[in-house]
Amino acid sequence: MRIEVFAILKEYFSKEFEINERLKTIEELRAHLAIINPASSKILKICRFAVHDEFVADHYELTGTDNIVVIPPSSGG
Amino acid sequence: MEYITNKDLDLVGLLQKAHHPAAGAVVLFSGDVRDNNIGKTVDFLEYEAHTSMASKMIENILSDAKKRWNLNIAVAQHRTGKVRVMEAAVVVITASAHRAEAYAANRYIIDRIKHEAPIWKCEFFTDGTKEWGGNCNCHKYTGDVNKHIYEFEDI
Repeated sequence: MRIEVFAILKEYFSKEFEINERLKTIEELRAHLAIINPASSKILKICRFAVHDEFVADHYELTGTDNIVVIPPSSGG
Repeated sequence: MEYITNKDLDLVGLLQKAHHPAAGAVVLFSGDVRDNNIGKTVDFLEYEAHTSMASKMIENILSDAKKRWNLNIAVAQHRTGKVRVMEAAVVVITASAHRAEAYAANRYIIDRIKHEAPIWKCEFFTDGTKEWGGNCNCHKYTGDVNKHIYEFEDI
């Protein structure tokens, strides 16, 4: 699956990258990302995840071909 | 309407288009970059957005506000890219029959954009440091990253 990150997460990960592990849910993906880069775990805990431009919950089931977007807390305005 | 843009916000042009025969009140809020934050001197801000998601969310927020306050016009635009001190990072314009609705709706729109839309600022300070700043931290109080505490709810 393809992962895209924004804002502060770019300090921990490439802007876009592939994950080949078979992960079943967003919850597993969140944990996996924290293993890839433990320093990101604090911010990952408060990130939202989106698929096809819609936010998805932790129990969302990944298909393996999904494009997942990781959204840190907003800081616009 | 382009909700996210990397070009300078044209406040005057947007305001000129926000007059309506049934509206006796037009409110414009400009969220400007100020020269200081957390005790440091700000050089400039750099904004980033998930454009398609942020645009859709802003469109929905404007639509909600129009219905809730029976607005004649509701407009919002947010910058991406480099925004300098005194420049506008975000603009919200509301027009309604009377001022109470235009003020309340304007505050509702900017508050929801700030908390919910996937837009982020990175502050660049004159001392050469930078910081992704001003994150929504409502989850600390609500226990849920999707639940926010809004200023407009205090009104």
